[in-house]
Formats: sequence, structure tokens, C-alpha cells
Amino acid sequence: MAVRDRLVELKNIVKVYGEHTVLKNVDFDLHEGEIHCLVGENGAGKSTLIKILSGAVSPESGEIFIMGKRVKSLTPRLAIELGITTVYQDAEIVDSLTVAENIFLGNELKSKIPFKIDKQKQAQETQKILKRLGIDLDVNEIAGNLSTAGKQMIQIAKALHRKAKVIIMDEPTSSLGLEETRALLTLLKNLKAEGLGIIYISHYLNEVFQIADRITILKDGEKMGTYLLEQIDLNTVVKKMVGRDTALFFQRRPIPIGDVRFRVHNLGKEGLVEEVTFEVRSGEIFGIGGLVGSGRTELVSLIYGALRPDKGEIFIDGKRIAPKSPIDAMKKGICFVSEDRKKYGMFLGRNIVENLTSVKNKLSKGLLLKLNEELRLSSQTVNRLSIAVSDRDQLIEELSGGNQQKVIIGRWLLNSNATLYIFDEPTKGVDIGAREQIYQIMLELAESGKSIIMVSSDMPELLSMSDRIGVMRNGRLTHVLENNNLKEEDLVRLFIGV
Amino acid sequence: MEQKNSNQVLSKGKRPVYKNQWFFLLLAEVVLAVITGTINPRFFSIRNITNILEQIAVLGILASGMTMLIISGEIDISVGANIGLVSCVIAMMIRNDISYFWIILVALILAAFNSLLVGSSSLVFKAPSFITSLGFLSVFRGTAYAITKGVFQTIYGKFEALGLTRIWGILPLGFLIGISIYFLAHFILKYSKLGRHFYAVGSNTAAAYLSGISIFKTKLAAFLINGLLVGLASMILLSRVGAAQPTTGSGLELRAIGAVVIGGTPLSGGKGNILGTFFGVLLMGIISNTLNMLRVNPYFQEVVFGIFIVASLAVSAFSAYSGRGIFKKFIKQSREG
Repeated sequence: MAVRDRLVELKNIVKVYGEHTVLKNVDFDLHEGEIHCLVGENGAGKSTLIKILSGAVSPESGEIFIMGKRVKSLTPRLAIELGITTVYQDAEIVDSLTVAENIFLGNELKSKIPFKIDKQKQAQETQKILKRLGIDLDVNEIAGNLSTAGKQMIQIAKALHRKAKVIIMDEPTSSLGLEETRALLTLLKNLKAEGLGIIYISHYLNEVFQIADRITILKDGEKMGTYLLEQIDLNTVVKKMVGRDTALFFQRRPIPIGDVRFRVHNLGKEGLVEEVTFEVRSGEIFGIGGLVGSGRTELVSLIYGALRPDKGEIFIDGKRIAPKSPIDAMKKGICFVSEDRKKYGMFLGRNIVENLTSVKNKLSKGLLLKLNEELRLSSQTVNRLSIAVSDRDQLIEELSGGNQQKVIIGRWLLNSNATLYIFDEPTKGVDIGAREQIYQIMLELAESGKSIIMVSSDMPELLSMSDRIGVMRNGRLTHVLENNNLKEEDLVRLFIGV
Repeated sequence: MEQKNSNQVLSKGKRPVYKNQWFFLLLAEVVLAVITGTINPRFFSIRNITNILEQIAVLGILASGMTMLIISGEIDISVGANIGLVSCVIAMMIRNDISYFWIILVALILAAFNSLLVGSSSLVFKAPSFITSLGFLSVFRGTAYAITKGVFQTIYGKFEALGLTRIWGILPLGFLIGISIYFLAHFILKYSKLGRHFYAVGSNTAAAYLSGISIFKTKLAAFLINGLLVGLASMILLSRVGAAQPTTGSGLELRAIGAVVIGGTPLSGGKGNILGTFFGVLLMGIISNTLNMLRVNPYFQEVVFGIFIVASLAVSAFSAYSGRGIFKKFIKQSREG
């Protein structure tokens, strides 16, 4: 490969979110006329890396060089001025304006009459850009009428109009059809030929191997290496994406598995989840894995009644239940620990007692609170889960992430008629100590005969906790696997469908 | 981590008294009273104190309802217009010698109905209640003008027991009713499931829904209670003033919101208590009285109140982010947006 100019260089980038280091001394660079692909599992740090490069997030340490010059504090605006454009799926397009108006937005061509935009000239210029890129769009079409692919292409055209040197695309094809994907990949190759640098992130390794010049693999915030396309094959990439230290795996004890207690049959909702069928036995932990956006959270929301299914049936102990709402699901014995405790779990500004007893209060009878009972039950839960709190008036936001998560889980342990526990990402943003305690709670629940569904993006968690693992892809439950001798790479292959 | 034995009960938090918002209000009230009392000794006369208590009764009742609404994450700026409409309707009924039973019933039901209109339109159309109540403010006041044809409705000394009775010649009945409403509101917020649900939906709607709480029912209940209290306040006000017109009550909504907010209940919802509101209302009453005592031009009184409300909103905005730094948070949000 001929020596070309370096457009972008990142050196020793470190980024910490709360207690987690999401990028550990990562280096990355991009040459002129190159497509550099970033691959890795959910949460490997790909998105964070490009957010740093687009100025949306600032790193804790490390150096950023753009066109050979060191940039100390990069803001989104500065990044665009320096020629770095990030193409998002939908954002940044004004639906009510035409293609040409979108491309010239904020940079309108003025005509001789003051305050009037020269629409004709804009349309002509746009036509030129589109033609050069081989994009077949009507410049006077309203952007809102275009498909996702069309909107992405406008964004690319706009970037070119603004003389961008670097284009970043994060999962551009996840909602595109086959034809559209092909058109987009061709377009990217044309851009490359014009000397632009492209950073391309995708879960779809097939695409990556079609267009990449180089591939960088990230795993848990660490760079596993950068390879020329010729130097590496698909299997090696998958192996490098996974393959973790055994220390990260939790050694759980076996628990005898009983009869089927929970079953879904052909459960589906248009556009989100398609005809999912599976069952969970008493004492069993059923893991559900898949890529972000594969419909895992939607599936459990359907079971919990937070979303209403179009079709399908849900059974507990052979009896058909059709949860109409979360309260209905709760009464029928389903518990749901959601994936984002800040958004869907915690009552900020309220103390731990109120946070612990919200479910119990809802399920008990009467109009008045039983304050003594509340105090007794919350004290019990605090002790049982060893939640570190100073006193009962402590607000939940004052606890650490792990303790917050334990409070949210503890809330559900007070639902005495529970049959099924759904944990969506139970240890997201939780430190190692609390993580093991949460695993112990789950095992205790299983031992007491409850059924457990655990959605997880954390591969070691999925492999070390689950009895069986269901694989979700594009809204379908494609495989259900017995978890013996399963390997990370086997799972990843099923997740991405190669 | 602290080791705990298995049956230890969680201890109560030790929060110094001076960290409460009401403590500052009490302090401000004492200071104001001392200053005013020194300049004009009549401030401490029994007559003046009784007068203050009488004046803040209506505001206190409104502020109690508003506290529950704001804690639930809602607001109603049409309460002033609601009072105007209800007072006009019942004043016309009194003029026609309709029995008090029907008058009380109509006052409560009409006010509650109006408040539920604001609430349900906000919940059904998923519009902020600030906007729907702004719309209904106009509807209520317009209706009041239409039915009275803009004519002042004097009730000639009828129906004055509620507003003018003084127990043992000192304690105004209205004030006693106001105090019992504070207790009722405190009871609801602290000891009932409904009150707990107010805090929950105000703090995190999504989490409340996933915990099985019905957002619709809970918020509607807050509007219902607010409406009933507006009905009660309308009767006391009409009884004390002796006449009603469509503009009766206008501006009271802002004073009530101001009292709630300065009492430590942020407009973002999910936090706050009635004790703060009590002292907030008292502060409003004392300021108003002080301005009278010091013979401040009534027009300037309006100015002072306006500034006071804006200042209290500023206090709320900053205390909602206290410790974290509002600007730091803002910058972080806009960067990671």
C-alpha cells in the first residue's frame, strides 16, 4: 500500500464512565482513501471511540490528531469544521425540506434579492453532487418521503458539499434492505476513490469483508489489533472479538430443574418481534442473547405487558395469561427488572424505603401505607442483599451503581406470588462485587423454584449463568441452545448470522 | 462495607434542622416580623395577626392542592379562573336563595369538574398541563363573564358564616379550615398509598408504570383533590369578600405556585412536603401584610410579588440541581446530547 496522508490519529485514548473504563489506551488511525472498519461486540467501545472523534464525548486522557495537527478539546462543531462528519441513521435531516434544501441547510446560496435563497442554483449544484456520487434521487423531493437509505445518502452528499475529509458511519445498514445496502457500499467505494477516509462500524461482518481496507477489533474497551484485510479472515476476527479470560466467568452451582412453569407460544408484535416460542422450567435460568436491536428487550416487554402483543399466547403453569399492563403481569406472577435503572427503575429524590417497597405497596390491599411493615421489610431486604446504606432516609441516587441495582432487584423480591423473574441486563454498570451478589440472588431464586429469564449482552454472564440460551436475531428467536461446552465464538456467530 | 447483623432495623437519617427549606422560611418570617413590628408596633396586635391568618386561609387551601399536583409532576394555572367561575355561579345561586346544601355541592362538583377537565385533557392529549390549564383558564373566565354578563354579584351579607366566623372572637374559622386541610394533605402525602404514588409518578413516570402504578389514575386523583380544594377555597373567599366577579381569584394561582415552590417543592415534581408549603404561604401573608403596614404603594406590591415569585422559581431551579452544579450538568448534557 502506498504511503498516504494520515487524516486522523487517536493515541492512548482512555474513557471512563462512572466506575467503568470503556476505552483502555486505544490507538486508532485513518488514511486518505481508505475504509477502516471497527468491529466488536455490544459494549466493546466502538461507539464511544467514534463519539470521541466526532467531539460528542471527551476522553479522560489521550491525544487526538486531525490532519496531522493535535487538537486539544474537540467539540462537535470543531469536528465538522475540521472535516469530520458522522452520518446518523435519521438525525440531521429536516423532513419538511427538499433534498437540495437539506444539503444547503445553514449554508444557503443567496440570490441577488436580499434574504431570498437561490433555489434554482441550489438544485443545480445538488444535481451535480448527486451525479458525481451516482446517487439516483430527485433533488426536489421532500426529504420526509425518502427511505432511511435515501436520508443517509443526503447526509453523505451534504458532507461532501461541506468538503468533509472523513465520514463516520455507525451501523448504517442495520435497517436497510439488501438492495439499499449494496447501493450504500458502492457509494462508499466511490468516496474512497475520491480520496476520503471512511470509518465504518458494523455488526455485519460480511459487509465489513466486502469493503474494508483495514479492520480494527475492539474487545471490552481494549484494542485487539488492526489488520489489513489480506492479513485476516472472518474466523479470526470472531475469535478476537471474544475469547475472554476465565477469571471473568462466574462459577455457578448446579440447581435441579423442575417442570415447565412458563411458556410463550408464537408471541409477536409487528415490526419488533416475530413468532417467538419457548419455555422456562422451574429452577431454570433461560438466557437470551443477541445484538442490540435484535428485539430482546421488546420480547420481554411483551411478556411483562409493557408492550401489547399482536399475536401469540403466554402461559403460566399451563394457564393462559394475557398481561394487559405491568400491574396485570405483576399480579399474575411476573417480575421485571428493566435494563436501564435510571430511566425505568429508580425513583430519584426518594429514599431507599420508598424505592424498595413500591411493588409490595402496589400489591397489598388497603388505602393506607403500613409504615412499620415497610420499615421491617426494607431492613430485611437491605440485610439480605447486603446493600450498603447509611440510614433509611438516604436517597437512592446517593448509592453506588451496584447498590442501586440491588435496591431495584430487592423491590421485586417482595412480590411474594412471583413465578417468573425477568432480568434485563441485570449487572449493567455494576462493580464486580455487587455483580457476584446479584448472581447469588438469582441462584437463590432459582433454588426456591422460580423461573428466570435473563437478557444479557455480557457474554461471560450469559455463558456462566444460563442453563439454556436463546439467540435473538432481527426480532426472531433463531436458536435455543443447551449451555454445555458452548463457546463465546459460537454464540457470536449465531448473533451476527455468519 | 458496613457489616450488619441480620435483624437490624434501618436507623433514621440524621439531618440537621437547618438543612430544611422550611427552617429558612421560618427564619425569614421572624426577621420580617421583627423589622415590621419595630417600625409599626400594630403589626403584633391581635387584630392584625388574626387578619393575616384570615387572609392566608384561602391561599393555604389552594397551595395544599397545588403541592400535591406539583409533586405528581403536574401543574394547574387555571385555579384562579376556576375560583372566579365557581364564585360567580354560587353567588348567583345565593342571590336566588337556593339552599346552602346545593350551593356547597355545586361549588365542590363544579370546581372538581373543571380541574378534571384540565387534567384529563392533558393526560389524554399528552400535552403538558401547563398548556391545557392555560387554555382552560380562558374558558373558565370567559364562561364567568358570559353568565354574569360582567355584572358584579353582591350577596348582601348572606353566606358569611364560613368566611367571617371567629371562634372565641379571635380564631377565624377559615384559618381553622385551612389548617385542617394542611393536616389532610400531610396525611395523604405521608400515610396513604395515593400520596406515595404522587411522589412516584412525579419522580419517574416510566418506573412508576413498570412498578404497576397507573399514571392516569394517580394524576387524575391529584387533579380531583386540587379541584375539591378550589371549590372549598371559592366558598371561603366569597363568604369573606361578600361579592364575586369573573376576575375574582385571578393571580391567586401564581401566588399558590410561588408559595409551593418557595416551600421547597420543585416544579420538576417527585419531591417536597406540606410543611414547606405552610411556611411558604405564611411568608406570602407576612410580606403582603408588611407591605401594607409600611404603607407601600399597592401598585408596587404587585411588583414585589412578581419579583418574589420569579426569585422563588430561581431558588427552585438551583436547589433541584444542588450539589451537582446546574451549569456543569447542562454543559455535559449538551455535549453528550
